[in-house]
Amino acid sequence: MTNVLAIDQLGYKHNFKTILHDVDLTLEAGKIVGLLGENGAGKTTLMRLITGSAKGTGTIAVCGDTQAAHHRSHVSFTEQLRGFTANTRVDRVADFYRTVYPDFDGARFEELVTFLQIDTSLKLAALSKGMKEKVIIALTLARQVNLYLLDEPFSGIDSMSRKRIISSIIKWKPDDATMVISDHYVSEIAPILDEIVVVKDQTVYAHKESDAVREEFGMGIEAYYESLYEGSVQHD
Amino acid sequence: MQFDDKVPIYIQIKNVLYQEMITGQLAPGAKLPAVRQLAVDLTVNVNTVQRALGEMMTAGIVTSQRGKGNFVTLEASRITQLKEQLVMTQVEQAYEQLHALNLTDEEIMASLKQYIAQRGQQDD
Repeated sequence: MTNVLAIDQLGYKHNFKTILHDVDLTLEAGKIVGLLGENGAGKTTLMRLITGSAKGTGTIAVCGDTQAAHHRSHVSFTEQLRGFTANTRVDRVADFYRTVYPDFDGARFEELVTFLQIDTSLKLAALSKGMKEKVIIALTLARQVNLYLLDEPFSGIDSMSRKRIISSIIKWKPDDATMVISDHYVSEIAPILDEIVVVKDQTVYAHKESDAVREEFGMGIEAYYESLYEGSVQHD
Repeated sequence: MQFDDKVPIYIQIKNVLYQEMITGQLAPGAKLPAVRQLAVDLTVNVNTVQRALGEMMTAGIVTSQRGKGNFVTLEASRITQLKEQLVMTQVEQAYEQLHALNLTDEEIMASLKQYIAQRGQQDD
């Protein structure tokens, strides 16, 4: 089994404060992984370290490559479109992606736009929260890479948009690509997760197969996740 | 499709498909939807569908034809057998629960008959 991601003894400090320490994490190809943890647990920081936009100690190998500068070409991350002015049209943002990322697949993007019912002539300022999240998902999934990092794609959006986004993930994730989805509320995405990774106490506190949690503990993913905070379940 | 988060998803996928086979929605020899389509329809992971189908193949209920897809077995007797198994599992659960309430076999039979009779009246 090939590993898309191998993190070894990763640490990260900000203003002398430890954000993450002793992170070891290996993800196989083809998985959908839920990255769970409270707000401020370090989920976004971990994603930024993987993309190479933040630098910590230890090693991160993406597809066997430990050079941070190369990670951008293997990883598609849900960037929050902050670099674009509010007047930028969605199709202009897509043009930018096409230019910057050689792996950006225009045909895939068009399929996603149709499926997610996005009007690409709209300006960013005119997008509702749910629509903006759909645009981000379409841009992220239109790239053909080995690792997709979706940072809280469901926070604060309506349930119809959420369902569409979940369906688009199932439809468009390439078979051998791995996808990490961070969330602090797991119940709605639980059925699509192969594995869960819990970030707690500034490190990877638990890493489990979802169906193994159900089989071993006879409890749901949400309940298991909550139990880690109550300390009632043995973890490894 | 709503899943019970406490039960492994691959088992629930198997149960959904078994139910369709037993009720004839999926007849012997019928072609199953493509794996990714099943995943989208059920809102589950492609890998989990693969796992469920893999176990159904091992059990001889689904057959795979290279390049053509997955099919329900043509052996109708295998489906009948499957139905009997599922019925027995349900009966066993109900029986064990009633037995745990200290009911005798006669009382269990009587309460089941009574329930069916009452249910029949409600339906009219």
